[in-house]
Amino acid sequence: MSRLRRFAAALEERTGLGGAFASILSDPVPGGARWWHALGSLLVFLLGLELLTGALLAFFYAPSAQTAWASTVFIQDQLTLGWFVRGLHSFGASAMVVAAGLHFLHVLFAGAYKAPREGNWVIGLVLLLLTVGFCITGFGLPWDQKGYWAKLVETSIVGTVPLLGPTLERVLQGGPAYGNYTVTHLFAAHAFLLPAVTVALVVLHVALVRRHRLTPPWHLSAAEVRSRTETYWPNQAFRDAVVAALATFVIVALVVGFRGAALEGPADPGSGYQARPEWYARPLFQLRHYFDGPLEIVATMVIPGLVAAYLVALPFLDRTSSRDPRRRLPVLVFTGLGLAGVLLLGVHSVLKDARDPSYQRHRAEVDKESIRARALAAKGVLPEGGLAVYRNDPEFAVRELFRDQCANCHALTRQGGGDGPDLGDYNSRAWLLAFLKDPQSPLYMGAAKKPAKGGMKPVKAPPDVMAALAELVYAQSGAPDVDVALVGKGQALYPEQNCDSCHEMEPGKDSDAPNLFRRGTLEYIIKIIEDASRPELYGERSKMPKFGHKLSREQIEGLARFVRSQRKP
Amino acid sequence: MATPSSPPSERRGFLRKFTGWLGAALGAVVAVPGLGFLAAPLGRETVRGGKGPLRVARLAELKPGKPLRCEVRGELVDAWSRVPDVKLGSCWLVKSEMDGGLRAFSTVCPHLGCGVDWNDSQRRFVCPCHDSFFSLDGKVITGPSPRDLDELEVVTEAAEVKVVYRRFRVGTPKKVEV
Repeated sequence: MSRLRRFAAALEERTGLGGAFASILSDPVPGGARWWHALGSLLVFLLGLELLTGALLAFFYAPSAQTAWASTVFIQDQLTLGWFVRGLHSFGASAMVVAAGLHFLHVLFAGAYKAPREGNWVIGLVLLLLTVGFCITGFGLPWDQKGYWAKLVETSIVGTVPLLGPTLERVLQGGPAYGNYTVTHLFAAHAFLLPAVTVALVVLHVALVRRHRLTPPWHLSAAEVRSRTETYWPNQAFRDAVVAALATFVIVALVVGFRGAALEGPADPGSGYQARPEWYARPLFQLRHYFDGPLEIVATMVIPGLVAAYLVALPFLDRTSSRDPRRRLPVLVFTGLGLAGVLLLGVHSVLKDARDPSYQRHRAEVDKESIRARALAAKGVLPEGGLAVYRNDPEFAVRELFRDQCANCHALTRQGGGDGPDLGDYNSRAWLLAFLKDPQSPLYMGAAKKPAKGGMKPVKAPPDVMAALAELVYAQSGAPDVDVALVGKGQALYPEQNCDSCHEMEPGKDSDAPNLFRRGTLEYIIKIIEDASRPELYGERSKMPKFGHKLSREQIEGLARFVRSQRKP
Repeated sequence: MATPSSPPSERRGFLRKFTGWLGAALGAVVAVPGLGFLAAPLGRETVRGGKGPLRVARLAELKPGKPLRCEVRGELVDAWSRVPDVKLGSCWLVKSEMDGGLRAFSTVCPHLGCGVDWNDSQRRFVCPCHDSFFSLDGKVITGPSPRDLDELEVVTEAAEVKVVYRRFRVGTPKKVEV
């Protein structure tokens, strides 16, 4: 005997592991190997995949409201193969829901829940629930928009449970509102509690399957079952391996095809996000639409509760020993109708969104925001948390500067109300035209200081004249879409309408009212911000503070660009 | 239950091999990327702090022959996070009694990384963990330290002292930046 064999024999004598393994391989499969039987093994395989990839992700993920999103983005976009491992974990979870659903339906339609397997049927139902529990808790961990808002809706539903709701909600979210403890709670449940309970129940489930054996198809006679029975190894093991390989192939294809699992921008409690649950919860989401007000709990609790109760009670309602579908028609029809209803609700919900242009626009915006946030995260996220990622945007600094220095007088809302002109949609044709019609409106110079002879009077002229004058001023800003013919017309009308008596148009010439040459270009706006009281601009009467000494050249240029960017394309 | 039937041995052999290889391939699909992912920190600087000279003291604070312990603060990029102003470490600033020249030493002991202290009565640096002693100019006097204190680059600008903060591997005779 070689040394290796002696060692193996000694190990076997002391542990019996080899014997236990061999006994699993020689388990009889009554009625012979079947592809359907492979679903159970597939679930064990997928659970292993989830445990492994989950443990790997935990090496790099940091569960807190401040760090969850940023650490997930780092996994997804920075760390080698992070996108792949996270993708396996995410698509593997979806595969698990599919496999668990198929396994459940197979057991149900094969009548495998009948005596003596009632207990294992109930354990299986609990495992199905735990699978969904994994998905629900895991979906929130990245603390991105979709995860955050889906969680918020779910805990709010828990909060509506009669009597216990508010207490339960507070325990689940770890406090009176969403925060660090919400993320630590999700993580502890997802990565410690649920795996421990699930693994224990899977061990029990498999032990009971081995005790009762796999259920042979109903149409085989006892003699046929006996004659076709074979050991687990190799025929059933082969089928199990092939099914696991197919599932893995599909998962990997999805991961590569979608470049990993979806990841949106950081959770923003102030945004108008249109929350949707993950695909498997769509039927419940749709069901809720039919029950409003006090009836809401019919959709959120009563109907799901009744379905669960029906499934748990099934082996005790359907007590005949026959697994022949023809003798179980009521059960099968009832279940089939329920299944059809679930599918219909889910498909309807997805189609409704697909056909809703406003929802599609919202999705497009969310996707754009996600890409922007993830790109900004590459510079490192400030310790305030995920939302601080937007501070990495140079435009953010300008926006803040505008808020601090300019917003007191200049609104951006097209509602006016400030001491200076509203700069929303600044210098668009519409902005200019409305200015010409009513320069003293609160949207424009209404609150500004006027010269002795009064401010600019409204231009009263036919619409085509107004349009030509507006186009002439519009052209000064260097806009790319200028109507040259209209500008020419405007040039002719300019002296005719007496505009030139106050507004010079020659470069650099001092002017009673602002010289309009190249008005609205970057340099022009920079000059206004630096010192609006220059003789070629508003002159001494200008109330606007001179920012030339207060802000740096870069800051002023940033503000000027920001103001120019207000014009909607 | 009757004795389960077995397939012919030829087919059995094929199934055994095929199932075995399939299982191994499935394991590899997870294990190879998994290991690559775990090894990610080998391929990138997950922690980077303080580029360029960082202000640590004013020139006027320094007295000849009297080392001054200074905090080094700067930007820290740590995996996903960026902290603009955080304590990166400390250094000893030493102004020479002879020519007034400035030197800076990292407080990290080159032995095993403890914080090196100044003992004013003995007039030498001491590491409190394993009793390495260093002279005022950072040379090892006695103790287990494999090299002298790690000197840092000093820049004086106007009345300010700036230091280029670096970390070095500990426990090796050679000064290697990490």
